[in-house]
Amino acid sequence: MSDGDTILKTTDLTKRFGALTANDEISLAVERGEIRGIIGPNGSGKTTFFNTVTGFYEPDGGSVHFNGEEVTGWEPHRLARRGLGRTFQIVSPFKNMTVRQNMLAVQTDDGRSREEKRERVGEILEFLEIDHIADNEARGMSGGQQKLLELGRVLMLDPELVMLDEPAAGVNPALEERIMDHIHELNDEGTTFVVIEHDMHVMKTLADTVSVFDSGRHIAQGDFEEVSQNEDVRKAYLGGTTAEDDEVPV
Amino acid sequence: MSGSAPVLDRLPGDRRYWFLALGVLLLAWPFLFGSFWARIGLGALMWIGLAQSWNMIGGYAGYLDFGHGAYFGIGGFAAGIAMVQFGYPFVVGFALAIVVAAVLAYLVAVPTLRLTGAYFAIATWALAESIKQAALILEITGGTFGLSLPRSPDTFIGIAVPFAISETFFYYVMLLLCAATMLVTYVLFERHEFGYRVKALRDDQDAAESLGIDTTRVKRQVYVLSCVVAAVFGSVYAWYIVFIHPNDILAPIVTDRMVIMALLGGLGTLTGPIFGGLLVFLLQRLSSVFLGSSTFYLPLIGTLIMITVLFAPSGIIGILRGEIGRDDVRKNLKELGEKFDLL
Amino acid sequence: MVDIGLFTQIVINGLLLGGIYVTIGVGFSLAFGVLEVVDFAVGEYVMVGAFMGAVLAPLFGAEGVFVIPIVLVVFFAVGALIQPLIHHVTTGDRPHPLLMGLVFTFGLATFLRGSVLTIFGPNSQDVPSSLLTGGIEVPGLGTFPVVRTVTAVFGVTGLAVFMYYLYRTRGGMAIRAIAEDRTNARLMGININRYQSIAYGAYAALTGSAGVFIGMTFNASPGMGLQYTAFAFFMVVLAGMGYLPGVIVAGIVLGLTQSFTAVYISGNAVLLVLFAIIYVVLLVSPAGILGKGEWAT
Repeated sequence: MSDGDTILKTTDLTKRFGALTANDEISLAVERGEIRGIIGPNGSGKTTFFNTVTGFYEPDGGSVHFNGEEVTGWEPHRLARRGLGRTFQIVSPFKNMTVRQNMLAVQTDDGRSREEKRERVGEILEFLEIDHIADNEARGMSGGQQKLLELGRVLMLDPELVMLDEPAAGVNPALEERIMDHIHELNDEGTTFVVIEHDMHVMKTLADTVSVFDSGRHIAQGDFEEVSQNEDVRKAYLGGTTAEDDEVPV
Repeated sequence: MSGSAPVLDRLPGDRRYWFLALGVLLLAWPFLFGSFWARIGLGALMWIGLAQSWNMIGGYAGYLDFGHGAYFGIGGFAAGIAMVQFGYPFVVGFALAIVVAAVLAYLVAVPTLRLTGAYFAIATWALAESIKQAALILEITGGTFGLSLPRSPDTFIGIAVPFAISETFFYYVMLLLCAATMLVTYVLFERHEFGYRVKALRDDQDAAESLGIDTTRVKRQVYVLSCVVAAVFGSVYAWYIVFIHPNDILAPIVTDRMVIMALLGGLGTLTGPIFGGLLVFLLQRLSSVFLGSSTFYLPLIGTLIMITVLFAPSGIIGILRGEIGRDDVRKNLKELGEKFDLL
Repeated sequence: MVDIGLFTQIVINGLLLGGIYVTIGVGFSLAFGVLEVVDFAVGEYVMVGAFMGAVLAPLFGAEGVFVIPIVLVVFFAVGALIQPLIHHVTTGDRPHPLLMGLVFTFGLATFLRGSVLTIFGPNSQDVPSSLLTGGIEVPGLGTFPVVRTVTAVFGVTGLAVFMYYLYRTRGGMAIRAIAEDRTNARLMGININRYQSIAYGAYAALTGSAGVFIGMTFNASPGMGLQYTAFAFFMVVLAGMGYLPGVIVAGIVLGLTQSFTAVYISGNAVLLVLFAIIYVVLLVSPAGILGKGEWAT
């Protein structure tokens, strides 16, 4: 446990798709209790990084340590049960089930009884303020409600680390606010977060530290201000063109 | 009770009395209506059970097993071979059917369940066809001659059977098996969290994995269970029908029927296969009596399938639940009309 | 001891047979690419085509060949009318669209098989042809049975016309664009509905007329469909879903395999081998032996 309070550490993590190196020797360490942001232009390897860390892709090189334990190549469900939760870019509730059933489907190793599990579902739904729709089918819910449900499901894992892929995408400002509050609240209680987000406003208010990806490499790390001043980062984002001002981290 | 239709809620009086009445009717059936209807009844019960077995993997788990009928045939041949080639009593054949089906299903599941969608459908279909062709070639299955099973003695596990070998006896065996299949489905897929996990992997496999669900394992469990159920029915059917041939009990039509029954009734629902199974079985069984042709039910069922898929994808259950109204059909028709755009 | 004369004769028969299978396989593969549905009705189109040959030939002086134009037109029209239905059940917000597509074509297959069975009974019927009889002796090679030769010529010609349309015309380009990416094609302003109908109609027409030729070569029977569905699956699985050049190779392999195993092994063994190959190839390399198929679900 020489890592001290490092909860997630990747060393030279590499993932290739044919000729394309989507993740090129990414080394990154996340401290317990922080909120880490990951930014980078489209196709810079952020989601691939998530998928490789959480076991959906087999890495072509390098290693992943979670809580001081080497977990490289573990199956996703095994990692999840160890307390590594994640969401997907495209919101994916189990459409033909109710909110409650969605939550109860989550499987853990903690030996909770049926009643305890049901109780926990109630607590989480209340915390997320969606307990009034607990018995509604997920297919009829709004996009925002589905996002909250997705977060709720992850919380059923009692995760130590949660990786969120664009939690604010396609969400109205009021709900965005609500999601941010929930993340802060959970973080105060000790949950670590790694967040991919395009919305720089969200990134600025949320992240303690920001990692910048470009062309599959981890090119910079620091707090939001530092990173936005970084020359490489500006280059990666501007890339010779001046379009897409909203994505420039200023 | 997410698996039962609200139409049941609208029954007058206490629901329990209706179930009780149904139970009594089913128990008294052979005595009330005689051996012809006992035969019809046992066939219907068997097909409902088989449709439910397909529904486990195809409906609840969403894996389109187009070779499921193979396990019905394997169960039949396992029992038949045990009785004919080795002279064992049926119980041994029954046990053998379960073991063989479970082992084979597990061995098939490991590589095959990695495929999804159409690929899984074609692979299981091809496997079932190869099993049929192999049974036509092999000697132990009787090849193209089939197997004639001994007429059973009048005892079952050493106990004298009151209506030995009669339709009545097999009616009660099928009733027991069908009820057991329903109970297992209800408990595992509707009541237990296992069922939620199965539906979760059907709706989104990656999300299910990310939530701690070992999808590979869960799929395998469902597949093996559903195959064993089919084999159990197969073994009893062989015992009942006495003569088995690969072209009958391994025919693709066995799978076809299960799929159609589950679909018409309502996929991934507890009671769907009951309605679908009854409808299709009776159509087929009675078509020669009432429609004057033993094959006329085929185009009828074909048409029924197409209409169901087009306008009522959640099946009879969906209609009973009121999920499909006139407006849905109208909307469907309108959208469909827009797709005709050749000229 | 291999008899060289027999051997070359088997090769000839196999190649000629392969020609007609390719026609079926290419259409089937294209239907998959365009509609993203595996068509369980493919073999039944062959069967119905063969029966149209058997039934209509007497009206044309007992000559099955003359039925071909009618089959082409009828099948194109029917296919173009069926396509919107398939498209409808596989799109939109319905549960299990893939299953719906499969089961729809499955229902169609049951309908077609059942109808023919009910109307004509279970017995097989001949598709007569007085033009296509006998064989052409080629010294040193063997006999080219006229029926099979014309069948193969038709197959290759039909295929060539089809390929020309697909690769050299605007309509063909539209169809290929849809097969590539339906959403993108729509954004490019392609009339999806129309070209999907044309593609499916053309596939049905080719398959139906292939059925007439197969009927003339063997015969027409209500139960023959399953075998040709199996053949079509075999070809696309071997080639990789939606990869047309692979289908041509696979079709010829199929013709040769059938021709050889029918002589040297029993008929049941042929099917056993075919099905076993389909299963194993799917497990080992779902994108086809060359790995160039579409890895769609």
